[in-house]
Amino acid sequence: MKAVFIVYGQSLTQPVGQLLDKLNIRGFTRWEEVHGRGSHQGEPHYGTHAWPSQNGSILSMMDDQKAEDLIFGLKRLNQQAEQQGLRAFVWEAESVV
Amino acid sequence: MKIYETAVRKPVSTILLFIGVIVLGVFSLNRLSIDLYPEMEIPMLSVITSYPGAGAADIEQNITRRLEDNLNTVSNLKKITSRSQDNMSVVILQFEWGSSLDEASNDVRDALGRIERYLPEGADKPMIIKFSTSMMPVMYLYATAEESYNGLYKLLDEKIANPLNRIEGVGAVIISGSPVREVQVNVDPKKIEAYSLTIEQIGQVIAQENNNIPAGSMDIGSERLAIRVEGEFSESSDIGNVVIANYGGREIRISDVATVTDTVRKKTVEETINGERGVRVIVQKQSGANTVAIAEAIQKQLPELMKTLPPDVHIGVLFDTSTYITGSINSLTETVMYAFIFVVLVVLFFTGRWRATIIIALTIPVSLVTGFIYLMFFNGTINIISLSSLSIAICLVVDDAIVVLENIVKHIERGARPRDAAIYGTNEVWLAVVATTFTLLAVFLPLTMVGGLPGIMFKQLAWIISIVTTFSTVAAITLTPMLTARMLQFRPKQTYKGMGIIFKPIDKFLNGLDNLYARLLTWAVRHRTVTITGAILIFVSSIMLLSVVPTDFLPNSDSGQINATVELPVGANLEQTKAVAYRLEKTLIEKCPEIKRISISCGADDRAGFAALFGNSGSNAISYMIMLHDLQERKKNHQRGVEEVAEVMRQEIAKLPEVVKSAVSTDGGGGGMMGGGVEVKVFGYDFDQTTAIAKELADRMRTIEGTRDVTISREEMKMELQVDFDRDKLAKFGINTATAATFVRNRINGLTASLYREAGEEYDIVVRYDEPFRESIEDIQNIVFYNNQGRAIRLSEVANVVEHFNPPRIDREDRQRVVTVSAALSGAALGTVAAAAQIEIDQLDIPPGVDVVMSGSVKDQQEAFTDLLTLLALIVLLVYIVMATQFESFKLPFIIMLSVLFAFTGVFLALWITGTSLSMIAMIGAIMLVGIVVKNGIIIVDFTNLQRERGLSLNQAVITAGKSRLRPVLMTSVTTILGMIPLAVSSGEGAEIWSPMAISVIGGLTFSTLLTLLVVPAMYSAFNAGKIRVERAANRIDV
Repeated sequence: MKAVFIVYGQSLTQPVGQLLDKLNIRGFTRWEEVHGRGSHQGEPHYGTHAWPSQNGSILSMMDDQKAEDLIFGLKRLNQQAEQQGLRAFVWEAESVV
Repeated sequence: MKIYETAVRKPVSTILLFIGVIVLGVFSLNRLSIDLYPEMEIPMLSVITSYPGAGAADIEQNITRRLEDNLNTVSNLKKITSRSQDNMSVVILQFEWGSSLDEASNDVRDALGRIERYLPEGADKPMIIKFSTSMMPVMYLYATAEESYNGLYKLLDEKIANPLNRIEGVGAVIISGSPVREVQVNVDPKKIEAYSLTIEQIGQVIAQENNNIPAGSMDIGSERLAIRVEGEFSESSDIGNVVIANYGGREIRISDVATVTDTVRKKTVEETINGERGVRVIVQKQSGANTVAIAEAIQKQLPELMKTLPPDVHIGVLFDTSTYITGSINSLTETVMYAFIFVVLVVLFFTGRWRATIIIALTIPVSLVTGFIYLMFFNGTINIISLSSLSIAICLVVDDAIVVLENIVKHIERGARPRDAAIYGTNEVWLAVVATTFTLLAVFLPLTMVGGLPGIMFKQLAWIISIVTTFSTVAAITLTPMLTARMLQFRPKQTYKGMGIIFKPIDKFLNGLDNLYARLLTWAVRHRTVTITGAILIFVSSIMLLSVVPTDFLPNSDSGQINATVELPVGANLEQTKAVAYRLEKTLIEKCPEIKRISISCGADDRAGFAALFGNSGSNAISYMIMLHDLQERKKNHQRGVEEVAEVMRQEIAKLPEVVKSAVSTDGGGGGMMGGGVEVKVFGYDFDQTTAIAKELADRMRTIEGTRDVTISREEMKMELQVDFDRDKLAKFGINTATAATFVRNRINGLTASLYREAGEEYDIVVRYDEPFRESIEDIQNIVFYNNQGRAIRLSEVANVVEHFNPPRIDREDRQRVVTVSAALSGAALGTVAAAAQIEIDQLDIPPGVDVVMSGSVKDQQEAFTDLLTLLALIVLLVYIVMATQFESFKLPFIIMLSVLFAFTGVFLALWITGTSLSMIAMIGAIMLVGIVVKNGIIIVDFTNLQRERGLSLNQAVITAGKSRLRPVLMTSVTTILGMIPLAVSSGEGAEIWSPMAISVIGGLTFSTLLTLLVVPAMYSAFNAGKIRVERAANRIDV
């Protein structure tokens, strides 16, 4: 089992959701308005006057294979709209209740 | 869910809601009626009291003064003027603009109730007449006839006036100048003297003979029959056969001592139309009725009515106030359409996207229709003010949509899908959009609260702009994102494919402009002292310009109508007057091919009643009503404007030696109060003193350039014949003055003995001395009457007939006698002439007890300007407050406010260059600018703040922000400027009224945009440089 944490520019909310549906990933937790900035480049997403854009984020647990497919899909999504900002982090989910 | 999110997610509801608004708007538009100005009822009441037999001075003393003293207590009263003339006192009460006339007339009635008991016994009960613009005629018709001329009154009354009266909204139809049938019994005084008869006896006999009397009823058998005595004359010639007396056993018939003629009354007024003898039919509307609708209905009905008339009677429209109104509205509608097209083109130019342009353009109709809905709910009309507000609104409503769309497009270009971009893009900017709308509201909502005449003019403007822009903001954060989500495609950058190719050079140009501006801005920020000082110098020097720009109250417009009155010396009879009138007419027609119709009315109608208050004063007066050809037609044929034709007329009048007084005015259509001129009032009790001063002042005013038709309101002393009865002698004969006076009146003026009936109509039977016996003083002296003992008394035994001079009228204002010296303007601004007149006034040697003050339009102008300036201060304060809360700063709004100063510089400059005077309309333009130009400042300062927050250095932030905001600033400014150009240059009917507003907006906005782009960043940098130093110093201490 893998834990995947996806952070994306708010306007990618729907494409990311659709991707999860397409890959039949049922379970996830979503935070609609989160703020942050990237390590290297891109604008900060603060929801302030200066940096008005905001992020959304999803945390989801899935099988390893699905995680791989998801990362692949997300990569493509990111390439389509690089400036929106999309990051995903994967780590091992040690135990699941 | 937020409103924009809902809108994007529920496109069907959104689109249907907006379609609903549009439908309601179009529905309202169809229900709205057309008018020239918003309804401005002049709040005036007149109190008319007649006191037969009293002279002007008696009337003043016994009636007018008492009424004035009491009426003065009525609340909301602004001015009280009065006119005391022979037999009649007219007190005119003018109330503050916007006061309710119903309330006022109740108050007046109460005041009159208190005073009535103290009025002289012979005086009639005072009558209250409501005065309003709607009393002004809507339409003048004329009728000319050949054979039927003598029967014209009856024909017109039955076939034209009555049907027209039935048209909804028509108040009164007055027929003026038509001959009236009258049966005259002209008595030879010598003959009746021989038989010891009197006029009164003849009158009595006629009255007793001309009777139908029911004599009761009788039962004959089973039937009840009525008995009638039919004594009425069946023909007018019967009157001659009536026996009046037996003298020496011989019957004396009326025909023995008099001639009976069935003729028309001797006319006191003569009307001609284009040289033909005719009759004028004046149509008045009911208060609140719609001029254009009435005129249309009349025009439609006329051809049918004409069919019922004999073939020699021709009826035509002499003057139709509605043509000017519809003409103005049409040309204004045209300019609104042009504004729309320009705005759309500008948006297309800057965005380079068809679909985006359509989305933005859609917000225009959607928001504008709310203006119509407002007008319908508050009984407004489509008029010059409401339409020009719409054309201003066109430029403002797109701004919000542009900002929202721009941000959404930014997201799309970054790769977001249109639907998401629409929601999140709007989310980022909606607050800023709402805030800028608040600044606009801070300007326009206070305008709805102005009082006085400007208040009435601007109320609609302010409400319409407030409502329309508010709704445009709503549309910008709902409709615009929804449409963008649906219509815009995912397309990262302009590809210049297909039609897009034309945007390539445009883009190149705009990029070049960006770079050029960036360089300029860099220089300006580095040399901010020079920039700021230079700007301040420009502003200060523009204030000097203010003394060069002339001021005016309301711009004059070419309505193609000239009204003129020409007076011959008092006492000239109708024949003389007519001769002069036609001579002038002939020369005018020769010299001015522009004249389409010329209608002349000579003398005064003694039956016109209320209308006589406005009309000519006597047989010596001529009034001209001249219609020129349509403005467009005149332009096509390179003919002169109305003002030039009027000038020709003035010159021609000056050549006539008989004329003692004349006035030529060119304002029509807009109603009476629009006439702008200089009026100087001379207050003082002493007639000789005030008249002398008024005359001197008039002479001086004639020397001022730009004045025309300088007239003095006080008429020359009028010569009259006074019959002074000796009471003692009268008493000896047992006659009192009143009886004796009646005798004189019956012989000269005539005694209406009875009414002759024919075909349901009644005509007066008038008995009096035959004309040859009432032509000289001796004729009066020779009048014989009898006392109760039957003794004949010759008037010369008991009275002297003397020639006497009497002031014909005493005018008063604010309970003081007044003489008004007034001058019309020609080719000069009101303010300039008023200033020159003031200098002349100061040079006068004014005795104590006499006061000379400026009045008229000058006073209105000063009042209006003071009102507007106060308002301007209030607006500036409110805008400051709104901006200060938006930026949470005292300093930044101050910087932005600088752009307002430059806007005023631009206004003065534009007015000066175009030679337009600073009128009230131009002032509104300047006030609106406050709202429009601060927007530019807000955009720049807001974005600079943002760059600073993003961590850029001060100067970097200023330059980056400037460069990136250049296009939005230019876009909103250019839409407004171009949108206003059709208004400024339109030459249609009435264009003179609104073009000053457009000129001042264009000038102000152009100038302030150019300067704002440099000065505001420079100021920003200057103001914050100090702060940064302080902050750095503070940090150093901390470390």
